[in-house]
Amino acid sequence: MKKITGAILAAAMLTSGAAYAQAWPAKTITLVVPYAPGGYTDSVGRITAQFLEKELGQTVVVENKAGAGGIVGSDYVAKSAADGYTLCMCSVGAISVAPVAQKVEYDPLTSFTPISIVSEIPQTVIVNPNVPVNTIEEFVAYAKEHPGELDYGSSGAGGLMHFAVQLFASKTGTDLVHIPFGGGAPATAAVVSGEVDFTFTNMTDALPQLEANTVKGLAVTSEERSKFLPDLPTINETVVPGFSAVSWNGVMAPAGLPQEAVARLSDALKKMAADEGVIEAMGRVGASTVFITPEEYSKRLADEVAQWTATLEEIK
Amino acid sequence: MMETLGLLGHGLFVVLTPENLLLCLLGAVFGTLIGVLPGLGPVATISLLMPITFSLDPIGAIIMLSGIYYGAQYGGSTTAILVNIPGESTSVVTAIDGYKMAQQGRAGDALAIAAIGSFIAGCFGTLIIAFAGPPLAKVAQQFTSPEYFSLMVFGLVAAVVLANGSLISALAMIFLGLLLGMVGMDVNTGAARMTFGLIELSDGISFVAMALGLFGVAEVICNLEDAATRGLNSSRIGRIWPTRDVLKSARGAIARGTLLGSLFGILPGGGATMASFSSYALEKRVAKDRSRFGRGAIEGVAGPEAANNAAAQTSFIPLLTMGLPTSATMALMIGALTLHGIAPGPNVIVRQPDLFWGLIVSMFVGNVMLVIINLPMIGLWVKLLQIPYRLLFLFIVVISAIGVYSVNNSPFDIYLMIGFGLLGYLLRKFNAEPAPMLMGFVLGPMLEENFRRAMLTSRGDLMIFVERPISLGLLIISVLLIISIALPSVRAGREDVFQE
Repeated sequence: MKKITGAILAAAMLTSGAAYAQAWPAKTITLVVPYAPGGYTDSVGRITAQFLEKELGQTVVVENKAGAGGIVGSDYVAKSAADGYTLCMCSVGAISVAPVAQKVEYDPLTSFTPISIVSEIPQTVIVNPNVPVNTIEEFVAYAKEHPGELDYGSSGAGGLMHFAVQLFASKTGTDLVHIPFGGGAPATAAVVSGEVDFTFTNMTDALPQLEANTVKGLAVTSEERSKFLPDLPTINETVVPGFSAVSWNGVMAPAGLPQEAVARLSDALKKMAADEGVIEAMGRVGASTVFITPEEYSKRLADEVAQWTATLEEIK
Repeated sequence: MMETLGLLGHGLFVVLTPENLLLCLLGAVFGTLIGVLPGLGPVATISLLMPITFSLDPIGAIIMLSGIYYGAQYGGSTTAILVNIPGESTSVVTAIDGYKMAQQGRAGDALAIAAIGSFIAGCFGTLIIAFAGPPLAKVAQQFTSPEYFSLMVFGLVAAVVLANGSLISALAMIFLGLLLGMVGMDVNTGAARMTFGLIELSDGISFVAMALGLFGVAEVICNLEDAATRGLNSSRIGRIWPTRDVLKSARGAIARGTLLGSLFGILPGGGATMASFSSYALEKRVAKDRSRFGRGAIEGVAGPEAANNAAAQTSFIPLLTMGLPTSATMALMIGALTLHGIAPGPNVIVRQPDLFWGLIVSMFVGNVMLVIINLPMIGLWVKLLQIPYRLLFLFIVVISAIGVYSVNNSPFDIYLMIGFGLLGYLLRKFNAEPAPMLMGFVLGPMLEENFRRAMLTSRGDLMIFVERPISLGLLIISVLLIISIALPSVRAGREDVFQE
């Protein structure tokens, strides 16, 4: 049935782009979230689905397809029909990082039609209180004096938490030991308990611990300071100029989405980034809203893939 | 102490609004329902219901979502006992003796004891959160990779005790479980192991698919094979309310299970599962007549059920006092709280006293509601067994398939369940028990992960396992347990020789 509808749609698209533009969206849209329900991306996905539903006048259903750090769900969307009824709330991990580090069946630059990044969240450099440093500069100096002694936790090999620290290590000339955990939350917990010395963790996980002084915050990994932690310097302005490793979530469609649907979605997401209610909802999970054009998104993906490919070369 | 009582009073004030009481009841009812339906777990349900809670106030929302979670632990034992389908990993051991009891017409006893044990354990666990939450969270933090490794070693040794048949086949099943647990992506390198290129296997085999296949589907195949049960369900119904004797023999098991569960619950990663498995192992060790186990021993139901409910409550401790989740469900709770603008962290007790104490009091209220809901339902559940099996089995298979699918929205998991159903059928023909296999499957990956992490942090020094007191203690207990298992079987072996 799905195939028949797809075929009819495809035929309709060939004969008249305008007809398609009027028709889309004619039925329920599925927004695939490639992560488990309740997580950070899931929250962003639900906020986005709610807004798109209002804006496009069609039901938008969130469908969680978790697995392999987001690869399973992203792969599913890459292989879906480019009819605008299957979209992905993709994230940096499975799109920019994983394809560099491991074998996946999609190409981040050609398998998708990127629409826009919707939210960004910086990573926060947190250290266990027993590590005798109070600033990111002291941290780098300490790491240089104690090569191979500082352990860091990550959400698993080949994830953003792992690669961001590797990039940091290669730029600062430090030797840091990778201890993989099964996710971001246990890695943060390990810094609190002292099992590892530090981690570059999601700001959502870091904020409550920083507030309670169970960990020390040293810096954020975004190019600009975060509005949620304005006192923390960036790595970019202190020890590594040009350093940037942010976690983003963006709406992507399978490659070959008709231009009309791209434009319609892009317009909707532009409105969303400026919407007061959305800004407030995203703020609650520690994220800032973002809007970029499909072209800017494509370029950003190319830059990121290049950066992580270079980092992987250095790790090897 | 007095201060805590005062704060509990404050919590009572928070909960005793019509709205919050209703939400608590809704949570308990939903929880029981999904617990009863095999495969449908709290994770899928909470994520489905989470958007609905956005319009509620955060306290009401979390009261309801928590109710679903601990309610599911109550309900999970029902299908395990009635039709040998454990809905949750924690009710796998309940199925061993619970189902045997149902076959003997003692389903009422088993269900009532499960409900009573759950109630006592749930209330005790909640008391622990109220009076000892923060210090216990500190204890849990002492558990790092070497301690977990030793705990998993202990768990695997205990898995041998789980088996009621031959020692050799139990060992074989544990190793088969360990092997199946290795499937999936290696955390340390990201390399895929034994996935045959299937992306669906990259996160490993789904526990729910495996458990429902090995127990539920295999049971259905066996029952259909037997012409006697095919037409009409042969299980007798028996009485519904347990006698004083039954209550008396379950008493000790409930107390021990509650204590074990409260302790294990605070540990991240499989705490509740470890609790129910260990409780079964413990009951079997302390029993005068071990041969009753696997043939419908009430202690084998009472202990594990108390343990998993106590653990379900105390697993809130790391979440509420540190903001650290111990399981997928707890991670969902964090997600729900964050979406409501509350960042769960070490300051939540001070910052949100209404939430913390309100939630604790709601757990007492919820547990009372659950026992009130569940006890009268027993009559109804037991009547379900009167449904002709030719109809009942269809219902079991369909609901199981839906439940398996709902975990990851993945049709692949349904095929897995069917595959494990066939494997489970074969294992029965060889008289091999699936419970030790599941234990190996659950513990194996944690054993490996923590061993490798300990090796990384100690830079390859094996002494780390005996230098740390908690780890050393657990290893010593494991060795003692091995000796106590090995000695009688060596002796029994000799007796066999003499008899010939």
